[in-house]
Amino acid sequence: MAQASSKIRNFSIIAHIDHGKSTLADRLIEYTGTLSTRELKEQVLDSMDLERERGITIKLQAVRLRYKAKDGEVYELNLIDTPGHVDFSYEVSRSLAACEGALLVVDAAQGIEAQTLANVYLALENDLEIIPVINKIDLPSAEPDRVKQEIEDVIGIDASEAILASAKSGVGVEEILEAIVKRIPPPQGNDEKPLKSLIFDSKFDSYKGAIPYIRIFDGQVTKGTNIKMMSSGKVFEITEVGVFTPGMTIAEELKAGQVGYIAGSIKNVGDTRVGDTVTDAGNPAPEALPGYRKAISMVFCGLYPVETSDYDRLKDALEKLQLNDASLMYENETSAALGFGFRCGFLGLLHMEIIQERIEREFGLSIITTAPSVVYKVNTTDREQILIDNPALLPPEGKIESIEEPMVKASVMVPAEFVGTIMELNQEKRGSFLNMDYITASRVSLYYELPLSEIVYDYFDQLKSRTKGYASLDYELTGYKEANLVKLDIMLNGEIVDALSFIVHKDKAYPRGRKLVEKLRGLIPRQMFEIPVQAVIGAKVIARENIRAMRKDVLAKCYGGDITRKRKLLEKQKEGKKRMKQVGNVEIPQEAFMAVLKMDD
Amino acid sequence: MPSLYVHVPFCIKKCDYCAFYSLPLIDWSEGYGRMPQSAGDSGLISGYLRGAAREIELRSGEAPAGVSSLYIGGGTPTVLSWRQLDTLLNEIHQYFTFSDSEKTTEANPGTVDEEKLKVLRNYRVNRISLGAQSFNDRLLCQMGRIHRSQDIWQAVKRIRKAGIHNLNLDLIFGLPGQDLKDWKDTLRKASELSPEHLSVYALTLEEGTPFGEKYLQDRTEFLPDDDLQADMYAWAAAFLEEKGYRHYEISNFARPGYECKHNLTYWQGEDYIGLGPGAVSCIQNVRSKNNEDITAYIEDHGKGQKTFALCETEFLTAAQLMSEYMMLGLRTEEGISLTGFLQKFKVSVQDIYGPIMANYIDRGFLFIAEDRLTLNKQYMFVANAIIRDFMR
Repeated sequence: MAQASSKIRNFSIIAHIDHGKSTLADRLIEYTGTLSTRELKEQVLDSMDLERERGITIKLQAVRLRYKAKDGEVYELNLIDTPGHVDFSYEVSRSLAACEGALLVVDAAQGIEAQTLANVYLALENDLEIIPVINKIDLPSAEPDRVKQEIEDVIGIDASEAILASAKSGVGVEEILEAIVKRIPPPQGNDEKPLKSLIFDSKFDSYKGAIPYIRIFDGQVTKGTNIKMMSSGKVFEITEVGVFTPGMTIAEELKAGQVGYIAGSIKNVGDTRVGDTVTDAGNPAPEALPGYRKAISMVFCGLYPVETSDYDRLKDALEKLQLNDASLMYENETSAALGFGFRCGFLGLLHMEIIQERIEREFGLSIITTAPSVVYKVNTTDREQILIDNPALLPPEGKIESIEEPMVKASVMVPAEFVGTIMELNQEKRGSFLNMDYITASRVSLYYELPLSEIVYDYFDQLKSRTKGYASLDYELTGYKEANLVKLDIMLNGEIVDALSFIVHKDKAYPRGRKLVEKLRGLIPRQMFEIPVQAVIGAKVIARENIRAMRKDVLAKCYGGDITRKRKLLEKQKEGKKRMKQVGNVEIPQEAFMAVLKMDD
Repeated sequence: MPSLYVHVPFCIKKCDYCAFYSLPLIDWSEGYGRMPQSAGDSGLISGYLRGAAREIELRSGEAPAGVSSLYIGGGTPTVLSWRQLDTLLNEIHQYFTFSDSEKTTEANPGTVDEEKLKVLRNYRVNRISLGAQSFNDRLLCQMGRIHRSQDIWQAVKRIRKAGIHNLNLDLIFGLPGQDLKDWKDTLRKASELSPEHLSVYALTLEEGTPFGEKYLQDRTEFLPDDDLQADMYAWAAAFLEEKGYRHYEISNFARPGYECKHNLTYWQGEDYIGLGPGAVSCIQNVRSKNNEDITAYIEDHGKGQKTFALCETEFLTAAQLMSEYMMLGLRTEEGISLTGFLQKFKVSVQDIYGPIMANYIDRGFLFIAEDRLTLNKQYMFVANAIIRDFMR
């Protein structure tokens, strides 16, 4: 049988956060008997703690379902999960490239959100068959007809056959499975052609090495196959192939149309580049699959160990995280204030927070994160253009001709009543209005051009809080624009603390400097001498506060019966002090560095 | 040669800030004192005296060459009757010999009478440390003290009359509701009594005390803040130095020659024997604490055994000993002796603490003169910030 099996369906689920994607996935897994309810629970417990706490999918997951359809045939359905947050649209494109169809899950009460829309467009670009599913129809506020109309108006696809479902109660699950079988085309491809498969994810296992997750387009792979990575030409012998059930289960082979993993003592995760094409070394495919856009780091910050001696452990943690997260970038960096650390690139602020939290939780490290920055293009007076992702490295004022900052086109979807609020917010964030669409009478899409740095700063939080959580956001990088930007430095006791520097629009420099200085005064404990805290631009001080000298830190009594207790107390205090960073003679607690991140608290 | 401390774990009433092991002799639970229901009559004091007698006998071997000084503290040693005091002092002197002349007893101004002083004098007790705390009746009352300022004057008069020429007054500052004026007034009144020695303590809030319960959670406006406390301290230091007292330790002032020899042994890292419930000893780098529970204390000694609370026995490492040497030595005006350190640890201070010392010396927080490393006096009230760095 040369043709790829007609009994395979590869699909993903596109949904906004909270629209019920995970619950639906669980129902499908349960309904097809892939896992029992009990196993499902355990399975869920195994996944990343952070994902469960935040209710979001970060790492894409894959699972193979066996479904006996009404036509009496057993089908192999491969669900490739997608993350729902704007930071991770890169990951979405990965999973979509491995599928022939997608479930578009829309909340029956809330309708389409900006991010969903962006992902549906991605799916349409990939020629995926879209099956609209209107979820949560049992909610009292459900308006399935309105949502159907919205899908037709906004996306322009036929929603007449949209499935009404409630993942929570299980309504519509069978109908969904049937639709997957009937409406999503089986994979094209041929088992006998040379192997051509796409790496859509990878994972690192300390025993098996780097494990690429692949979708086979043509050919097959078994234990013993010598595979070749088409981008690097590197060859590996496969020692294991398998499928996701959803745990990794060894299989005989993977054939055209199937989804699974391969292992072959690939030591370096860099050799399993996501998006790369895997072929048979002995019988290579003539050309590689198109792949897809590379992950671009949008936000950069410095990560430093609180305790200098933890540098190697931090390095190790980043290495390990990168094994399973190819979108995490890092390189060595040195800060006068913080010592040795790393400059890291992230997909967005959420991605940054997640990495930071995983380092602290999974590796038990305390780290200091410096203010996030975007990449600026600096045109120097000697007609050079340099890229700056670390404010501390900005050339002196006199050497700068102009600075360009990255811009994004942001689309915000909100109930019409919040239009004024959104306009106000965008104005504050230096946005320029592009246009506005009425999706329905009560829902609006607004398009703005904004500096990325404003989005990175606190745009998303503001958007959510000012619209009671109703607004959704999507954005894409559009290019660079010149702006009146300055570097704001913080001086403690007369010395610049490089880790606290940031680049900001000149009009905002004063209030931001003022606020930060006040905040730092509260966060830095009083010390043996008075410490001036100053915000400066170039040589000009724009804000100043003083941390007065500490006046009392003493043990009043210390006699025979007190000595042990007092010694232990001081030892403990000394330990605590280790968590402070010493800049000159000033001791700065970890929280002070975080102040730049959360200035509006 | 070790010094000797004897703990008398009884008070008429426990003060609201006190975390020492001590039992109130009167039941105050109903808001007013009910006369001895408790320790006195229930035989706790006599039990204690029997236990102490046994402990004195059992442990006298720890000081074959005698002890340097004696300090009877509490609690309130002077809640014992003159007979009970006589019994205790008699036992002590039967088993221990004293090479030095300093013998101190703590006293509460409300519990000093001529008979008791006479007994003390019989045993050549020559120093009284009087818990005056404040000369402000409102503050005394609020602290839960049983005495009033009037009692201090009377007690001092009696003490002097009994021929005791070395008197210490304990004073506390930083009390809830206390302002600088109250404190100056207390210090002036104290100085009018011309004590040879003054201990001036910043109030420490301890967990498990009424003050701790009341103020630790909720640092209210009633408590003088760090700045006011620092002002109080600075004023006291200046005032007392002007009156001719040497500020010889963070919290202690003395007329020249009247520094408390007993307490200096702690700060100089000497051995000490502590007797009585909850008392701590440190002999040849082993620090141990007696059982705090008085019933257990009495029982143990009834069986003729020592009463260490084993879990609290500590075998001090060289690093811990060095930490303590610095922690204690830097509290004093004399500082630490560099050669003393070398003799004790067979390694120089420089080798252990070189960079830390250099930094603090450069910045003027510490200085070295001849053989001594000392803390710049103006930083005594923030001593922890410096001493902390000498912990190993």
